[in-house]
Amino acid sequence: MLREKENIGFKGGLNLLDTYPLRFCNIIERISSDGIPEVFEFRVPDQKIQHVIVNLCPTEPWALPNWVILEHKTAAFLNKLKEIKTRYFPEAKCYIAINKKEDEPNAAVKDYAGDAEWMKVFALAAKYPQDDPVILSKVVLGIETNFGQDAMTQGILILDAQTVSAIYENCMLGNKVNSRFIALSGTGLKENEIINVQLGTSLEKILRNRVKESGKCRVFVNGPLHGREVTDLSQKMGWSINNIVVLEELDQKVMFPMFKSDELVLTTNMLGESRRCVYCNFCDDICPVDLEPALYYHSYKRGEKHKVRLYNLEKCIECGLCSFICPSKLELLQIIKECKALDKQK
Amino acid sequence: MKKLIKPIEPIIGKSLDRVESFIHTHPKVNFLFGAVFGAFDGLLRSAKETTQTQPFIRNNYDVKRFMGAVLVALVIGWVLPALYFFGWQCVVSKLLVSFIIGVFVVDVLWAIIAREDHISEGGFVTCLLIPAILPPQSPIWLVGLGAALAIIFRNVLGGVGNNLVNPALFSRLFLTICFPSLLVTGYQMPFVGMPDLHSFRYGLDAVTHATPLTAFKTNGEVTSYLSLILGTSGGSLGETCRLALILSGLWLIKIRVVNWRIPVSYLGSVLIFSVFLSLIMGKAVAPPLFQILSGGLILGAFYMATDPITTTYNQAAKWIYGAGCGFITVLIRDFTTLPEGVMYSILLMNLLAIPIQSLMVRIKYRA
Repeated sequence: MLREKENIGFKGGLNLLDTYPLRFCNIIERISSDGIPEVFEFRVPDQKIQHVIVNLCPTEPWALPNWVILEHKTAAFLNKLKEIKTRYFPEAKCYIAINKKEDEPNAAVKDYAGDAEWMKVFALAAKYPQDDPVILSKVVLGIETNFGQDAMTQGILILDAQTVSAIYENCMLGNKVNSRFIALSGTGLKENEIINVQLGTSLEKILRNRVKESGKCRVFVNGPLHGREVTDLSQKMGWSINNIVVLEELDQKVMFPMFKSDELVLTTNMLGESRRCVYCNFCDDICPVDLEPALYYHSYKRGEKHKVRLYNLEKCIECGLCSFICPSKLELLQIIKECKALDKQK
Repeated sequence: MKKLIKPIEPIIGKSLDRVESFIHTHPKVNFLFGAVFGAFDGLLRSAKETTQTQPFIRNNYDVKRFMGAVLVALVIGWVLPALYFFGWQCVVSKLLVSFIIGVFVVDVLWAIIAREDHISEGGFVTCLLIPAILPPQSPIWLVGLGAALAIIFRNVLGGVGNNLVNPALFSRLFLTICFPSLLVTGYQMPFVGMPDLHSFRYGLDAVTHATPLTAFKTNGEVTSYLSLILGTSGGSLGETCRLALILSGLWLIKIRVVNWRIPVSYLGSVLIFSVFLSLIMGKAVAPPLFQILSGGLILGAFYMATDPITTTYNQAAKWIYGAGCGFITVLIRDFTTLPEGVMYSILLMNLLAIPIQSLMVRIKYRA
């Protein structure tokens, strides 16, 4: 069964794939860890799973692209999925979210889905943060989940392509899975590439000889928008790391920024001075869950942090788009997190 | 352009760095000139701050560009048409006076006295609006006074981001109260065409002429719609050429500097209320299309009412705000002795914006 959905249950958002087009090198290099690599293990969840969502629609340009896993053999991938489904989740229904702009997997999945009753296909617009668990389960299933809550408690299991193929290797074929693909990108690297890394490799080893020598760089795991910054590079790599972004640290003034907009994108620079809120409505236009972040800012500035939670604060999925778009460069996400923490203490 | 500036870049960059470090090591110099330098530096160079918290990349769009877009739209919307219709002697002198007094004297003095970090670009927008909303024959000192008042008023309330009402309109209200004769009589018919030798010889003292709205009020005369659209009728300096104003306003809506809800609801409510009133009262009130095209309505709807700081933040409340502006405008135009009500309506709704906002927020989150 095939259903096309564009922005149902979801307004705002940003098409990051067009804003920051990143191209990856086709050659995939293997990196092995120095010690004994960790092994991927899939534990069948205790809860009854009713819905399995397979996310084939990465919305961030630095995320691992689909072709690495699918290898243009989408039908084979779907066969694997079917076997997993019949073995572990016989009662569940599969939902596959694909990017409607990617023609090849799109056609293959639609072809496959034609007569399959066990799965449903959703051709989605790859707008960030479409692949966020909250948005995904709302758009695909129409079920409201809260941010931070484990979707499993509501019987929803969300998998990405790489995890599906790892589960197949591990549980169906009985092979040990001890490596995964990650995407390396950013202005601080010599080249954007995809590598196959053994689990447990330190980030330092991955980035060795890949980072540009000149200038300072900062390393972010799982994307600069909602990922975290890594300062300690001796950290070991785990299964949860999907991509590593290395950005140039632009901590000096640049002459004539109006003529150099191409050089300034994808750096850690603020790209503007911090000002007062000018009520431009950019943040609530872009908010994917229909909040008004500037209200939080004004309450926070007046010292009324307790008031903030009146304005549907718990709905926020912390995608970071409000801080990203703000022309006054306000730290809106930081304010939201602070107020959420206050809420939890009580 | 990039290649042209490349060789001079390091020289300017180094000398700016040197001046900056000099200013920062001398507190007294910093007190007097730190603000001026900061503003100048901000125009030439980007900020050096980097992101410390999530998200670690930011959009390449800041308040400076926001204001820059408004400036460009205003230049296309009223400065260029006014140059054609009222002659450069009239427009350029007023612009110069407005900018020099408003931005470079009052704002810089304020930045020095109040120890602000920098003068803000918002002042340029305000000073570009001041000549636009004054009559073409208003004396130069009136423009200067208006610009100074607007900037002082804005700064007293706490600068850009804290305005209660639109500073340019507030200043015009002040001038209307203090110098009513100058603001009622200084209107003339546009010249149509570039000023020639004749106007150099004999000056620009054209005959004063009633604005279309005054003409309607006194003898029921309706100016032709074509001349209203093209700008060949009388009115304030910046409000006559509606075509250019609408086009540049639409551009601002397209790049999302102006929120489309306000012009749509403002113009829409003027249309609805005036249709309603003319159905009831017939010829006693101005016809709907004439109301939309006359006076400062287009300028007000696209550039003044939409000033994001003085409107409501909530999107639904913006509809109420715009509709309220339209309602008051039609009421003042049709039932009072005043010919024009756009200024009063926007100022009144600016004051009402905060209550409307809090009401809508209460409805949205606690219903």
